[in-house]
Parts: sequence; structure tokens; C-alpha cells
Amino acid sequence: MTSPLKTEGGGASVVVDGDKESAKESQTAQVEGRSPGRLMWIRFKRDRTGVISAYVVGFFFLIGLLAPLISKLYGKDPYTVYADERPELFDSAGVPVQPNGGISGDFWFGLEPGNGYDVFTKLIYGIRTSLMISLAVTVAVVLTGILLGVTAGYLGGKADFFIGRVIDFLLAIPAQLFFIASMPVVVSLFVSPRDETPTYVRVVALIAVQWALGWMSLGRILRGTTLSLREREFIEAAKVSGASSRRIIGKEILPNVVTPLLVQSTYLLPNFVTAEAGLSFLGVGIVEPTPDWGQMFSKASTELVLQNDLTYMFFPGVSMIIFVVAFNLLGDSVRDAFDPKSAR
Amino acid sequence: MKEEVVTKDEATVPAARGAAAEASGEPLLVVDKLVKHFPVKGGFPIRRTVGAVQAVDGIDLTVHVGESFGLVGESGCGKSTTGRLITRLLEPTSGKISYRGQDISHASRKQLAPIRSEIQMIFQDPYSSLNPRQTVGKIISGPMEINDINPAGGREKRVRELLEIVGLNPEHFNRFPHEFSGGQRQRIGVARALALEPKLIVADEPVSALDVSIQAQVVNLLQQVQKDLGIAFLFIAHDLAVVRHFSQRVAVMYLGKIIEVGDRDSIYARPRHPYTHALLSAVPEVNLDGDEEAQRERIRLAGDVPSPISPPSGCRFRTRCWKATEKCATEEPPLVRISGNGPGHLTACHFPEEPTTGARDEDIVLDPALAALEETEG
Repeated sequence: MTSPLKTEGGGASVVVDGDKESAKESQTAQVEGRSPGRLMWIRFKRDRTGVISAYVVGFFFLIGLLAPLISKLYGKDPYTVYADERPELFDSAGVPVQPNGGISGDFWFGLEPGNGYDVFTKLIYGIRTSLMISLAVTVAVVLTGILLGVTAGYLGGKADFFIGRVIDFLLAIPAQLFFIASMPVVVSLFVSPRDETPTYVRVVALIAVQWALGWMSLGRILRGTTLSLREREFIEAAKVSGASSRRIIGKEILPNVVTPLLVQSTYLLPNFVTAEAGLSFLGVGIVEPTPDWGQMFSKASTELVLQNDLTYMFFPGVSMIIFVVAFNLLGDSVRDAFDPKSAR
Repeated sequence: MKEEVVTKDEATVPAARGAAAEASGEPLLVVDKLVKHFPVKGGFPIRRTVGAVQAVDGIDLTVHVGESFGLVGESGCGKSTTGRLITRLLEPTSGKISYRGQDISHASRKQLAPIRSEIQMIFQDPYSSLNPRQTVGKIISGPMEINDINPAGGREKRVRELLEIVGLNPEHFNRFPHEFSGGQRQRIGVARALALEPKLIVADEPVSALDVSIQAQVVNLLQQVQKDLGIAFLFIAHDLAVVRHFSQRVAVMYLGKIIEVGDRDSIYARPRHPYTHALLSAVPEVNLDGDEEAQRERIRLAGDVPSPISPPSGCRFRTRCWKATEKCATEEPPLVRISGNGPGHLTACHFPEEPTTGARDEDIVLDPALAALEETEG
């Protein structure tokens, strides 16, 4: 072993020389360590289900993102009432004349009975609306979960007790009922019931209501993780060096809660998509003419559509099933990649 | 035989150790009547304090500049709590910790800032003492970043130097902790502690999580660091052999109190407290020759350490001591230099043992099951 004093004193220049040489070597020798995140990525890439699901999920997000471009290339938009524009395509009841809901070269996914909206553009715009709302809810929930969960776990004591009881209280509320009951209330906070409600108010209300009852599970998980991290010795080591609470939370704790955070958020997002669809289905979410994934189901279940045009339900239904299943499979794969020891 | 070797060893290295052995030198850390009680909460619906775990109950110790001070004792006797109190990871209930004459027992984080770099800690578990999400370079340069220290040539160069000091490849500074073995991780922990050029390192069982061959390497590394850089160590361990190898002065703790303290030879060759005798006799030793003279005394204690929530009155060891009398229950023995002790050798006992570890006429076997076993054998 080299003497420490030697290396500190006269040997300094030698060390520097050695550095240069070995730096050259390291380009070939690959001394670069593999971070836990990199290892996770390598494990994830090996998981075929996960990769396929990721592509499917990515495809949906791409569709949502590029909806205006796609509809431009396709040459139609979801607001045109084709019952007025092309009345020859509909019978007297407003049902498309051609079989299978009017599927043709012009209208790929058919036409909506009644108003005669184009189903294809309606669906891609609906996906766009739903994903945007769900993404916003997820971001809000993640931020709240980090803030309250990590605070409760790190501070402990009274703060933990208080936040814990708030979580218990909110978890005791039946979420779906609360959503249905509170949506009109929240909307009426912004707009008088006599006026027409602008779409953005409905969107904000949907996000707020889902966020209010959505953050608790993540908050609890992060609290538990932080609680166990707080007792680890590397936190004590940082304290012994004089690190501030801010630094300990930012540099020592947060990087270590990324794993449960990412896994939970990939499970949460499809839940929010279905919940949002459910609310729109029940009529308290997004309403016509704004296209929305869930609202299409509501339309599909009206008497007119249900009796005359079962095909209408097919595209939104199948696409949502594919999306939710793919996202959940992705969540499983992410979890397996992060924590290979957990049971499959 | 062994003692002779040790003394010879000391004679050959007069400079570094001689300075440290002069215990009367400059005190670096003085701990005075330090107490830490952890409250025990209970009751429903209103929780209140119903008792206290008296983890550390009034200990005094002094660590001198450049000295290695060992703290030994059974599990749960308050060694680690003492270490965490000194590094101020825990707030003392009462008592005083002074570092170079400055009272730090209740100092806030800001007040402690200048001292933080001088007192560092090495932790027990190398698997939880390194952040798995940071590279080795980041882990070691973290303390420098926090204390805003910019060594000449940059932090990265200093990290490479430190890695070399602790015997690791300096090229590994970009690697992550999971790519190292337990012993290597502990070396990284040592490098982190050295990063701030501390004057005192509290080593909390630094080798007890490592396997024996690695233990020796890490202990030798610590010894090298201590000698070369003149860092004082508070070495907390339950392994008597490791402490004997490493420390010039040793304190023995039992149930939150120091019951005997002295230099290495006093404690290991001329112990006075019955508990120290019992501890030493429990160290396994290979005696291939079956040499009668080399035989050591045999003491087998019965039972467990009493609960620190309600420790025994008087002398805390009396419930397991073969010499205990009425006096031990009523009067707490002070930690003093009793007659027959060398200078600096303090013992807290009313009825001290003879200062030898040689075999007794009759083994002391307090455990009834063990006693029965021995009888059938004999």
C-alpha cells in the first residue's frame, strides 16, 4: 500500500501523470460505472412485453399529440356535422345508411348516428383530451405525493401524524361517488349554473377533483420509503458532514424514491384515464361537442346508437382496452426492471 | 508473551505512538456526565411518557489528540448511542460534550458547521452507509461540497488521492457502490470520512459487518491512517481483539455506564472489574499446546443484560456478578483509581478482582445449565 503522506506530498505530480495515462486507457477499458438507472434500462430492454407495451403506449401518446396534424392530412375535423353537410349518407332517423356505421373510404371509422360526426377524428381528439387531462392529474398527484409523502416521512412526529390522518380521511371517501357529486359543485364555483360552462372550466374541475382524491396512495408509499431511507446510514453520514435538510432531501432521499415513484405513476395514469372516461360517460365530465374518449361510450349507449349502430362502440372500446392493458403491462415491466427480486 | 511483543512494538515506533501514549497531552474531546434517555411512550388514547430507555447514563471520557480510544461492551450497552451523541446525530438529554474546549452538546447545525469537518464518522454497515444512486466520486466529494472546500487541483483529484490512500483504484471514482464488495465499500466509507481531513473519527463498529480476513485489512488501513495522518479515533467495537490491536486506551461499557477505563495493557492484562474479567475470558483462544501456564481464567455469566428501562440499583452489574453483596445494591461504585491500579486506570467496583487473567483454582460458572454440563463432563 502506498503511504498516504507520500501521495499527498511529492507524489502529487506522479499521480497527475498517472491520471492522464489511465484516462486514455479508460476509454477502452470502460471504467465508467453502470448506474442503477442504467441497469434498470438494460433489464427493461430485455423484457419483450414491456418494450411492446411501451411502443403501444407511445403510439397512443403520439396520436394524441399529433391529432390536429392527422386530422388535417385526413381532411376532416371532429366538429363538422355531416348530417347537414352530406345528408345523403343518413336515413331519416339520422343513422348512417351504409352498413357498419357508415365505414367507407371517406369515413374510416364510420359516422356517428344523430349529428353525424366523423368517428375517426372524434376518437383521436378524444384520446388527446383524455390523455391531456390524465397526464395533468398524474403530474399534480406526483408533485403532491412527493411534497406531502416525503415531508411526512422525513419530518416524522406531528407532521407525519397530521398528514397521515388527512390521508386516512380522504381514503375513507368513496371516490367515484365523490367525483359525481362534486363535479357540478366545483363547476358552479367558477360559472353560474345559468350560463353555459366553458370547456376549460370542466377540464380544470375534472383535474382538481381527481387530484384531490388521487394523491393519497402515492403519498403513503413515498412516506414509507422515506421513513426507511431516513434511518439508513448514508443519511447520517450526510448529517455528520453538516448537510442541510434541503440537501438531504434533494440529493440523498429523492433520487432513491424515483423507483417507487415511477412504478406507481405508470399504474396511476391508466387509472386516471379510465376514471375520466367514467365521469364523461356518466355525463359529469367533458360534454359535447368537445370530443372525449369516455363521452363516446356515453354516446354509444344512447338508445339511438345502441339500437342502430353497434359498430360505433367498437373503435373507442377496443382502443381504450388496448391502451389500459398496455399501460398496465408497462407498469409491471417497469416494476420488474427496477426491482428484479419482487415476485412476478 | 503477547504483552511483551506489544511493548516491544511500541518501543520501535516511538514517534507517532509515543505522542499519543502521553495521555496527559492535549485533550481533544471531553465528555462529561453524558446522558441519553429515549422516552418510552405508552397508554391509550392519550400517549404519554411512561419510562425511558437509559441508553447512556452519565459517562465521562476524554480522547486526546492523535489517540485511539476504544469503547467496548456487549450489544445494547450504549456504545453506538455514545458515538452518535458525540457526532451530534442525537441530542443529549444532559451532560456536556466539549471539543477543544468548545461546548457542542446543544449546538445548532450552523454553530456546528466549523467543527463538522473535524469530527467525522465511519459507519457499521457498508451496505447502507453509501447512497446507491451516487457514484463513488460523488459520495466522497459530497462532504467537501457541503463544507465548500476546494482543494488545490480540484475535488476530483482529491477524490483520486483519497481512493489511493484507502487502497482502491483511483480510476473507480465513476463507479457505483453496488459494484464493490463489502470491504471495498467500507474503504469508500473511510475515504469519505477522510475527505474533510478530520481531527477525530468516530468509528462505529467499522469492521463488525465484514468477514474476518477483510476485517484485518480494514483495521490495518485505519491504523495506517491514524498513524500517518495523526487522527484521533473513538473506536467502538464489541470485538475485544480488534480493539486491543487498534486502541491505546480502552473503556468498557455496561448498561449505559463506563465500568472500567485504562490503557490497553491495564485493561487486557490487569483488569479489575469482574465484568471486564468475564468479557476477556469469553474471547475464544486457540491453545494448541495445552500449556497449563498459558491457561486463562474461565468465567461463564448467566442470564442477559438487564433492561435499560429499569436498570438495577447501585452497581448495574450486580445482578450477574458472583461477588455482589448488599452494598452493591445500595451504593453505586464510583469510577475511580482503586489501589493497585496503574495511572489512568479507573474501575467502578466495590470488590475488585485480582489484576490478572490467569486461570483460577475454580472456574466461575453462573449458568446452571452450563454448570450441570460441566459436571457431567468432569
